[in-house]
Amino acid sequence: MVKPTQGAPRRRIAPQVIPQVITGLEPGPFHARIAALNHQHAWTNWMGFASPAVLDSVEFEYFAIRNQTTLFDISPMCKYAIEGPDAERVVNRLVTRDIGRLSPGRVTYAIWCDEDGQVIDDGTIFRLADDCFRLCCQEPQLAWLSDIAWGFDVTIRDVSREIAALSLQGPTSAALLRSLGVKAIEALKPFGIASIRIGECEVDVSRTGFTGDLGYELWMRPPDAARVWDRLMAAGDNWGLRAIGYQAVEMARIEAGFLLPKIDFLSARSALRTNRPSTPFELGLDAMVDLAKPHFNGRRALLRLAGERPARKLFAVEIERDKPAANALVYHRRKREVGMITSALWSPTCKRNIAYAWLDAPFGQTGTDDLWVEIYLQREIRWERRMARCRIVDKPFFVHQRRRQTPPANM
Amino acid sequence: MTGAPDAIVIGGGHNGLVAAALLARRGMRPLVLEARNHAGGMLGDAEFPISPMPFALRPEICRALAIDVATRPMETIVASPLNSLSGTLRVSGSRLDGGSPQQAEAFRQLVERLARQAEALSGMLLRAPPRLDGAGPRDLLALAGTGWKLRRLGKVDLRDLLRIALSNVHDLVEDELGLGLPGALLAMEATLGGAMGPRSPGTVLTLLYRMASNGGRRMMPVGGPGALTQALAAAVTRAGGEIRLNAPVERILVEGDRAAGVALSNGEIVRASLVLSSAAPRTTLLDLLGPGHLDAEWVRRCRNMACTGMVARLDFDLLAPPRLAGGEVLEADQRLVVAADAGTVETAFNAAKHGKLPDDPVMEACYDAGSRRLRVSVQFIPHSPRGGWTEANRQMLETSVRRQLGFVLAGFEDSVTASRMMAPADIETAYGIPGGHWHHGELRIDQMLMLRPFDGAAGYRMPVEGLYLCGAGSHPGGDISGAPGFNAANAALAARRH
Ligand SMILES: Cc1cc2nc3c(=O)[nH]c(=O)nc-3n(C[C@H](O)[C@H](O)[C@H](O)COP(=O)(O)OP(=O)(O)OC[C@H]3O[C@@H](n4cnc5c(N)ncnc54)[C@H](O)[C@@H]3O)c2cc1C
Repeated sequence: MVKPTQGAPRRRIAPQVIPQVITGLEPGPFHARIAALNHQHAWTNWMGFASPAVLDSVEFEYFAIRNQTTLFDISPMCKYAIEGPDAERVVNRLVTRDIGRLSPGRVTYAIWCDEDGQVIDDGTIFRLADDCFRLCCQEPQLAWLSDIAWGFDVTIRDVSREIAALSLQGPTSAALLRSLGVKAIEALKPFGIASIRIGECEVDVSRTGFTGDLGYELWMRPPDAARVWDRLMAAGDNWGLRAIGYQAVEMARIEAGFLLPKIDFLSARSALRTNRPSTPFELGLDAMVDLAKPHFNGRRALLRLAGERPARKLFAVEIERDKPAANALVYHRRKREVGMITSALWSPTCKRNIAYAWLDAPFGQTGTDDLWVEIYLQREIRWERRMARCRIVDKPFFVHQRRRQTPPANM
Repeated sequence: MTGAPDAIVIGGGHNGLVAAALLARRGMRPLVLEARNHAGGMLGDAEFPISPMPFALRPEICRALAIDVATRPMETIVASPLNSLSGTLRVSGSRLDGGSPQQAEAFRQLVERLARQAEALSGMLLRAPPRLDGAGPRDLLALAGTGWKLRRLGKVDLRDLLRIALSNVHDLVEDELGLGLPGALLAMEATLGGAMGPRSPGTVLTLLYRMASNGGRRMMPVGGPGALTQALAAAVTRAGGEIRLNAPVERILVEGDRAAGVALSNGEIVRASLVLSSAAPRTTLLDLLGPGHLDAEWVRRCRNMACTGMVARLDFDLLAPPRLAGGEVLEADQRLVVAADAGTVETAFNAAKHGKLPDDPVMEACYDAGSRRLRVSVQFIPHSPRGGWTEANRQMLETSVRRQLGFVLAGFEDSVTASRMMAPADIETAYGIPGGHWHHGELRIDQMLMLRPFDGAAGYRMPVEGLYLCGAGSHPGGDISGAPGFNAANAALAARRH
């Protein structure tokens, strides 16, 4: 035991009340509005925000995406401003595609890789001006962006909380905006950006989304969030507008052919095992890699990988019958295990049983027949095992011509 | 040189010169571009050699380049500033004179054992470091060779090597030699040039490393360090290479992910498809090449390379040759080490670690009779002392060094007529070496061998095709040895053959 120094006064430690550290989820900029509609009280954690999983019923919400129009809060997305004289160089150094070809006022989908050519994340890149970009993605990237930007004349800011955002998706979304007097959408092509007003509020609108159909994303200041929501909702009745939760969005995402980190692939930055991350070639994203442009992160590794056969690849597959095959194993000739399913869905719109499958080489790449998935079905307590034939198909499963039509259809 | 160069060597330090000489002897036409007005790099100019007591160029290198520089091995005199009369030892290799017979015997045994262990490791120094990934048959053979040598050490020595390699030199000498001067000497040898104190883990490894080249002996070229520079420069030009002074390189040019030449700071462009740089790794990669050509992870590792130098150089002009306290003159082939024991070396390090000038600095010195100068390298002087390198801090450093030397050299204070000083920050500016570091980057376990200069960058060859690192920042590190320059040129030549 340590003896107190002689002469030192004995001190008594006063009991202190330490306030409980607050854990749990934060309300986002639209929280009050969504909470009022969230009859299921089903919330999920999206980047620390309470995000609705489903408000009423996932079926209603899904069909609203495909037949009417829907509102989904995408504010929790990570958003970064990349600005300055070297902004284009920095973004080009980050992503695998040539960003020099992206004009101001346009958006593109992009992926970025680590030094081994393994995908870190994907996201959308908004070119707001020559020297001003915004990156939107699922996972925090500030540390990575700082590494990428080191040595360049650029500022990078996390603007995730400075921008509230709504995804307005569905066949009648243009009609709804039109009814609010938004003229700019007439000329707005897919992946275009425009500045508009909704009521008194300034809003940026981009013709983007992950549904494979007509749709927009609306970007605004958080203090305006509730007012914009209210205006849209007030005008929305005629167009079947419905607030929706994440589960319906996820269904449309799979149909539209988009991949989701953590579900379909693992970011190179979060994988612990060396063979868990994936290359763009394994993900079938070859078209997003421009090996002809000057150095970008991972280019040398990708150059090497481009000449090799991927050890495994992600494919879009269609499975017989109607039972979704999430997490199922894939077999060749019903015997040999050759892969696994990630996302899976009975697509109500396509009327197909669809999924993404990781297949070890050469399956999917050269040998494509006699593939089977093993589906476990629970039928009133009893588990049943079903081997269902699966075959490789093209992505996306769903894309509507409305998506490209400009001016957009008035439905 | 006739015709345009087909290789550019950035930096005319001894490693740059070795690399250029080897390329030239293999039929290339290298052009050495040196920023300063003299060749030799930190061998320095006649006015102020930064490295006053060169280690030796490896004999294999001298042979390969047909260089013949006469050298004399230096004897070391260790003197304690605490006890000036009885506190002096003479050391040559494992032989120690001036102490008790027991001291001499313990010292001999320890040094000979370390020398055997160092010898077993030495094969790794004149080779590219083994690769961590995709090792080819040559790498494996080289590793096997070293492994074999290690096995031949015998069980006792090998077990001992594994026991001590990652421990600290302070514990080693305290266990085996007790307190006092012999331990002070080994503590200095282990830490000289670095930013680790004798109690830092891994300092036995740095000691072994030093002893692995030439037994750790300094070899004074007849004619001084400048004679070595001249011999190396002559070897370059004799074989058809060219050396240009006052030619600072500003940028390495890249075309289609290949080195295409360099741009000088006067705007001149020199083209060549092979570029070797003996500037420090950080300078080469981040300033001359630029992060845009490198992956972000690579840049991060390069930025985080430890390279804070802690050695200052002072020269004192003397009226008369310095005399040890016992009255003998300090001869040209003698090196004076001033430190009382391993503990005082650690104390000096502790001060420097916290940005303070040590009260009782430890140092090595030699006397150049021609210029009548005592050349002193003071170990553990912070790169950025608190308050910066103000006149007051410089004064404080000089005073403390003079005081220490005054304890071991008779009448020293009265003999000094003038002095010059280069703090680590001055060396950084003058030679473009980040941190002014002796080795261009700390030599420690996580920056050695296949991790030198940093993880992923070993093996001299850089990711931009045709660009090589050839200076002290690369394996096996600094000191005057020529090994990085030699290994890098060999790597470049091998790649051209393929
Ligand atoms: C204080 C101090 C004392 C030392 N004492 C000794 C000693 O006694 N014995 C010993 O063996 N070692 C000693 N060393 C270590 C030794 O000096 C170095 O390890 C050695 O000089 C490294 O050689 P190099 O050729 O790799 O690099 P350097 O000798 O540093 O040469 C690099 C050259 O590149 C040039 N250069 C840099 N940038 C550019 C550019 N952009 N364009 C053109 N040229 C450029 C520099 O001007 C320099 O001439 C000492 C080091 C220090 C700091």
